Amino acid sequence: MPSTLPPLTSLTAAGCTAVITTAAGTWPLSLAVGLAAAVLAVRAGVGRRVLAAAAAVLLPLGLSLLMLHGLFFPEGRTVLAVWGPARVTAEGLTFALESGTRTGACVMVLLLFSFTVSAPDLVAALAGRGLPPQFGFVLASALTLLPAMAGRLDNIRAAQEARGLVLRGGMLSRLVGVRLQMVPLVLGLIEDSGSRAQALEARGFGGPGPRTSYREVADPPAGRRFRTALLLFAAAAVALRLAASWPVAGPS
Amino acid sequence: MAGAILAARICSFNFHGERAPALRDVDFSARPGTVTAVLGGSGSGKTTLGKLLAGWLRPGPAGRLRGSLALAGELLEFQGGEDDPRINPAAWSDRVGYVPQEAAAMLSTVRSTVAEELAFGLENRGTPRARMLREVAGIAELTGLTALLGRDPATLSGGELRRLAMACAVITGPGVLVLDEPLASLDAAGVIQVRDLICRLTGAGTAVVVLSQAADGLARSAAHWIILDGGTATATGTPRKLIRSAELARTGTVLPAVTCTVPAVRAQSPVPDTEPVLELEGVGFGFPGAGGAVHEPLLRNLGLTVRPGEIVAVTGRNGAGKSTLLRHFNGLLRPDTGTVRVAGQSFAGLPAGRAAASVGLLFQHPRDQLFERTVLREVSFGLRRLHGREAGSRAHEALETVGLSRDAATHPAELPASKQRLLALATVLARRPAVLALDEPTVGLDRHGLGRLDHAVSAAAARGAAVVLVTHDAAYARAAAHRVLELDGGCLRDA
Repeated sequence: MPSTLPPLTSLTAAGCTAVITTAAGTWPLSLAVGLAAAVLAVRAGVGRRVLAAAAAVLLPLGLSLLMLHGLFFPEGRTVLAVWGPARVTAEGLTFALESGTRTGACVMVLLLFSFTVSAPDLVAALAGRGLPPQFGFVLASALTLLPAMAGRLDNIRAAQEARGLVLRGGMLSRLVGVRLQMVPLVLGLIEDSGSRAQALEARGFGGPGPRTSYREVADPPAGRRFRTALLLFAAAAVALRLAASWPVAGPS
Repeated sequence: MAGAILAARICSFNFHGERAPALRDVDFSARPGTVTAVLGGSGSGKTTLGKLLAGWLRPGPAGRLRGSLALAGELLEFQGGEDDPRINPAAWSDRVGYVPQEAAAMLSTVRSTVAEELAFGLENRGTPRARMLREVAGIAELTGLTALLGRDPATLSGGELRRLAMACAVITGPGVLVLDEPLASLDAAGVIQVRDLICRLTGAGTAVVVLSQAADGLARSAAHWIILDGGTATATGTPRKLIRSAELARTGTVLPAVTCTVPAVRAQSPVPDTEPVLELEGVGFGFPGAGGAVHEPLLRNLGLTVRPGEIVAVTGRNGAGKSTLLRHFNGLLRPDTGTVRVAGQSFAGLPAGRAAASVGLLFQHPRDQLFERTVLREVSFGLRRLHGREAGSRAHEALETVGLSRDAATHPAELPASKQRLLALATVLARRPAVLALDEPTVGLDRHGLGRLDHAVSAAAARGAAVVLVTHDAAYARAAAHRVLELDGGCLRDA
């Protein structure tokens, strides 16, 4: 279900939340933001898709953080266990936890945004702010890439099933299907991009001059005020973080 | 040529890396307010010529051109070298519109409604919004798209997509419009709308160029014909002069009957008392919409029985659900209600791949059906499981049947559209299924291709297969099928 927020407000809210969470750098806040994003995703009807995408990104990332910082953290002083050259330290685990939850919160917030924003509305809103149409096209293509790939995969799978490939019989069958579908998927996307470029040029996409937009996106004043407040809040969070981390000059 | 808005003198045009020219000795001109038809069979060079004229193939990046192009009085001379002039595609497309044979290739893919897709070209030219709204509403009315303005372009049927592509090209008001097979996949109403649109455009001074492998009513309304054969213009002149010419006869151009007679209907099915091989009972189906809501059902309590050796044609307006119906035969789509049985067996609960042994489906768009790296690999896919050691000979036999034996090592994407359709047909024939479901099998085929299709369908029926073909070509349906049914309101009835 698309977000009811105007697209620029959604974009600002997602970006500022990620910035503020990163600036705060405390794992309880990061965890709370990640959970809030998950709840909002479920309420928006995209919970399963957001959580699946987040798992694909965060599980390998979390494991690598644990491996790197949990086992090898030179600054660690409180040693919990030792296996040869690997030392599990409380400081290393804390660092891994903070990094993981901070990244997790950002990933969840941005996934929630990308799965709920209306791509055409966002592109129209950005074009209305004077952004180059090429930027809008790339953004829209990126936001619609997964559905487009899913549609093309459906076509390939239908063509293969129509010739006897049985794909719904367990993990091994699915893996065989993935192997058979990847090559035509990639080649098809490359072929498509070539013909698409021709069509876009022919329809004046590469031409110079100002653009207009057929789609009108409402942007009420309250939304603009909310965005300004969010941006100020995010700037303040970054400033506070910089001030807190600034090295204090000692007596010479 | 004097008075021409677009003219070309092509001594030769070679794609990079190709020794043989794709086009040679072609003189072309189009005058404002007229229709010019370029006729020829499969592989004759029509699409290459059309793309060159429209700036979709640009001399230099796309290949070497020796000759000249002239647009609205501006002459560009090409020697096939580095110093040749460069065509600005955006400026060229302002004056020459092009609708490719594969209509979907025209779409931007980033617009979420038909209305926005129509407006895409206007947006890029900075057209004020109020004028865009008027232009979109106007062109939608002319092309019968008004009811579809809010639809996602990705959900349109083949015929609807063609009308959208044409409207996208027309909306910016080019002085020349090049249309590649403009009537393909259109229903009778769509054909009338397109012909009316072309009349209106020529009346307003647009030069319309039609590329076609059929000398149909639209081609016969042209002021001038150019006949292409093997990449060369073998004859030019008026339709009256060329309609019975040896040059036209030598090409694979389809010649629908000049005098309109009702084609003879085939005799009744030769095996009336045998058990049906395909049975649909009470089939209902609707695509799920956004949020899981079910749209208006496309199929309602639909029934169909086809016996061995019987050929049934299904017609109906664009978007009536004909392709959706065929996809129920092999389990790619599952009915919401009712049952589908092949040779007495229901596929309910079985994966679609299991049905492939009994049902061969020719997709509406051949490119959706082709995914392998060579023509031979394409036909051979999945055959070994079905035919064991005979798989190789079955694949070669199927390629021979459709006339593609010499293209066995070619990549399917490099074949012209008509050969892609024949290749897709070969993948179906090689499996020797009990049911052949053919979606728009005649689209894009020249006379030779139609002959091969007819032979293949007759041979399949003769060995006892049931054939269901979906087509907008009423004459072909009546001539090829034992029964002609119309899909209307989700149900089948005698046409």
